[in-house]
Amino acid sequence: MFPGRSAAGILTPPPVRYYDGTMDRERKKAILNLAVQAGEIMMKSGGEIYRVEETITRVCKACGIDNVEVFAMPTGIFVTLDNDIAGDTASTYIRRIHSSETDLNKISQVNQFSREFTTTSMTIEEGMARLEEISGSKPYHFAIRVVAAGLCASCFAVLFGGSTIDFLSALIIGMISYTLSRFLEKYDINFFIRGLCSCALATFLALVVATSVRGASYPYIISGAIMLFVPGVPITNSIRDFLSGDMLSGLARMVEAFLIAVSLAAGTGIILKIWTVIGGVTL
Amino acid sequence: MTHLLIQFVLALLATGGFSVIFRIPVRRIPFCALVGAFGWITEEIAVYYYSSPVFGCFIGACTVGLLSTLASRTLKDASTIFVIPGILCLVPGLKIFNTMYALLKGDIAEAAQIGTETLLMAGAIALGLLTIGAILRVFFALARKTVTLRDKF
Repeated sequence: MFPGRSAAGILTPPPVRYYDGTMDRERKKAILNLAVQAGEIMMKSGGEIYRVEETITRVCKACGIDNVEVFAMPTGIFVTLDNDIAGDTASTYIRRIHSSETDLNKISQVNQFSREFTTTSMTIEEGMARLEEISGSKPYHFAIRVVAAGLCASCFAVLFGGSTIDFLSALIIGMISYTLSRFLEKYDINFFIRGLCSCALATFLALVVATSVRGASYPYIISGAIMLFVPGVPITNSIRDFLSGDMLSGLARMVEAFLIAVSLAAGTGIILKIWTVIGGVTL
Repeated sequence: MTHLLIQFVLALLATGGFSVIFRIPVRRIPFCALVGAFGWITEEIAVYYYSSPVFGCFIGACTVGLLSTLASRTLKDASTIFVIPGILCLVPGLKIFNTMYALLKGDIAEAAQIGTETLLMAGAIALGLLTIGAILRVFFALARKTVTLRDKF
């Protein structure tokens, strides 16, 4: 948990990798690259701000940098390194972060990496190779995730008060709408349209099932499917950012969560309205 | 009792599903599922005894926060991994739908009522996480201080 604290719990000075009075620019650049890469993976996978900033600071300090200043936001990371040596200039690195996809496995792995990097004598090159490996890792096959999504939707349909028929239909509808959502994500469709389309499809299918199968009730099926797209990661992260004092990021993520929620409601609402106008159900 | 047991199993499966969607490593999934299921069950029990969904969400979020911090401390892993799937279970999905449904019906009074309750529940989840986070922070700071003092003397 703390820099320089070994597994046994005894305080040991962190291993200094490079410190001989001057630090050449190449070396500094390599350190910056490594630290920012670690931060970028975490931020993209849905890490909190303080975790990203702490990881970058720890990695840089372990490389023997005296002063590290990090400013991280969901859309970019700024890092400045400086040494207390006469003639040494400060270097700054800005990394813009574009897309993000929740991958908690990567957060866990980078966390492990930073712990290892600060307590063992891993070189910068080894660290970079390790980060490349983490950033390219693909934990679960698509089919498994689709089944998991279906299971999730169906369990929630029953938890909200649905029946066995609702369970089965939510299973299939959840799988289909999750597939659509991944498909749209592959083509870089923005999150608002993605939420809207996925929820609209889920609602449409639920209404079709509810009208054709006896005993199926669409509110439970739809709300089960909605749970798949609920903005849980932005909500949780915005709360944790507020807690650690990162107001700007907390606000940004809260707005993101709100917009996603609006898109889900809009997708459901549009289809329900159209269905009523056509005459399928009476509200 | 049977009802609660069924709910527990369903919540376990649902949180497990979320864990797979968010790509949590296999060896951590059982813990995540347990955190989520306990959060849901405490919410259900709180709603049963106090009949207030907002209070239920608060208690559920507190449970999730506490259990996930404990899990992250014992397993030495990022606490985000345990919090995110657990909190998702408490999000009022049915209430979101009902708000939309009431709006479409043109029943503004009902929409306002359910909508406010949904917002309050979201607020309660946030408050629960914040409260337990603050309490644990103070607790761990005190514990660390005690350990340092003990080492000194």
